[in-house]
Amino acid sequence: MARAPQQKAQVTDAVIAKSFAHTVATGDIVNFRFLFISYSPLRQDSTEDINWPKYEYLLPPDENDALYRSALDLMKQPEILAHVRAQLQRQGPPQLPWEPLMRLADNALRLSKLTTAAQAYEVLRVRRRIQEEFLAQADAALDAGDIRKGVRGYVMASGLDYDYAAFPEPLPAVPNYQERVLILHGEYPKNPEDAVALQTPEVHVRTGLHYLLRNAEIAGRLEARPLALRIEFLEQWIRQTDPQWDEFAARYREACGLAREYGERLEREQRAEQGQQTLADEVEAARDTRDPRGISAALSGRTSLELEWWQYLKDTAYRHPASALFVTRQVVAKDVEIIMPRYRSDSELVRRLGLEAV
Amino acid sequence: MASDSGYVDYVAVLGLDPEFKPADARRVYRKKIKDLLIEISQVQVTEERRNRFLLAIAQLNAAFYILRDKDRCDKYLADRAQVMQIEEEWRAQADKTEASDKCRRQFDQALRDFLSVYMEELMLEAGRDPECVENSNWDAAHERHASSVLRRYRQQLFHEIHERLPFYDITQPSVDWDERSRFVAAMIAGGER
Repeated sequence: MARAPQQKAQVTDAVIAKSFAHTVATGDIVNFRFLFISYSPLRQDSTEDINWPKYEYLLPPDENDALYRSALDLMKQPEILAHVRAQLQRQGPPQLPWEPLMRLADNALRLSKLTTAAQAYEVLRVRRRIQEEFLAQADAALDAGDIRKGVRGYVMASGLDYDYAAFPEPLPAVPNYQERVLILHGEYPKNPEDAVALQTPEVHVRTGLHYLLRNAEIAGRLEARPLALRIEFLEQWIRQTDPQWDEFAARYREACGLAREYGERLEREQRAEQGQQTLADEVEAARDTRDPRGISAALSGRTSLELEWWQYLKDTAYRHPASALFVTRQVVAKDVEIIMPRYRSDSELVRRLGLEAV
Repeated sequence: MASDSGYVDYVAVLGLDPEFKPADARRVYRKKIKDLLIEISQVQVTEERRNRFLLAIAQLNAAFYILRDKDRCDKYLADRAQVMQIEEEWRAQADKTEASDKCRRQFDQALRDFLSVYMEELMLEAGRDPECVENSNWDAAHERHASSVLRRYRQQLFHEIHERLPFYDITQPSVDWDERSRFVAAMIAGGER
């Protein structure tokens, strides 16, 4: 027997203000839009009820949070609350109130939710201008020699980028280094100088900026600056966007050690093939049965030796995007390829990032 | 009157008079594409420049391909005038909720159709035209790379037009750009939470 529908309690202005203030404070555009849709629990004519436990997440867990208090003050403004009320009673697409959405975007930026901020600014039709403002102020900071500020500006401007080629409609450009890295290392380096990691410092830095900033136009703004500044910029970018970089650097140095040992093993094997094997070589060869894929595993911080080179590469680039600039592909046997550390000994960037093997 | 910005004017791309003849289009196209290829050969091609050059070649090819054929040219000019007319109608109706919504939907569809045909499909089709191929050296590799460049271009035009239209999905923002500038400065300084 069907359960008789229960009368839904009146959705009060206080609950509406609290729910919206929570989405604004947390920079949550998904829930902000959700609160307006036809089956929103805030609509009086909806069968969904904001008082149900499953909607607890729409209400603030901490009403003393500063961002929440400020958002609540905004949502309680009579004209904003009246507009929201009217939209919750309206049939058809809602018209979003611009002030809460702008505050939501700002809070998203404060909380480093850059793609959410990009989406909200795009709806407000101010995204490009705000992005340009970040770039202009970042350029001014770089002119004044403040690299840290300059990098912060570029990080935010790149995070506000939009992908107009996305299908079926434009979306915020998300950091997709795990895909970009395959393009960067798509061709096997036939000569040492073809390897990304062994490019001349000028070319290496340009490659790094285009790869990490993900937007040729934004990266292009830095090209006229001196090489030393761009190297410092790259170092700062890597350290600001990858707080675990030093852990990777330690693994990288360990992988350098493994690669060196592997090189010695190849030399022993070569001597054996030429009939010049010494007793020491024989003893070492008997002891050393390590899989060269251990080098890739050490780089990526995995224990498995069963993965393909591109799996190690994607995995490492996902967690440490800049790692892709200091590795190369290497064939070690028929159908076996690994990724291994590689760098130019004269690279200032390598030294600054703590990648140099001891 | 609706702005024609965003509705790419192929007559202006080739710099032709409104009363041009197909022979004029051919002559000017050959000159412009030759100059562009020389310019490309003289600079170092970065990713940014490559995208810009691909778009410039595709635009010249499309302009010539459309304007040299009378039927295609007439249809293009009529479609362009029509979509601009619908934009104007919508602007006139913007204050009336019901009528505005209907007009907006009609405009949205017409605009998407116009941009996808003239700013993407015909641009790619022009790249397969023997005369365009001969003059611009356009090949399958160019087309493969250009498809994403053109999709981005189409969406950018769509947004360029969209951004100047009346607000309907959001209340009209009243942005204080001095305050925005201070906010950006605070974010860059890292002092904001």
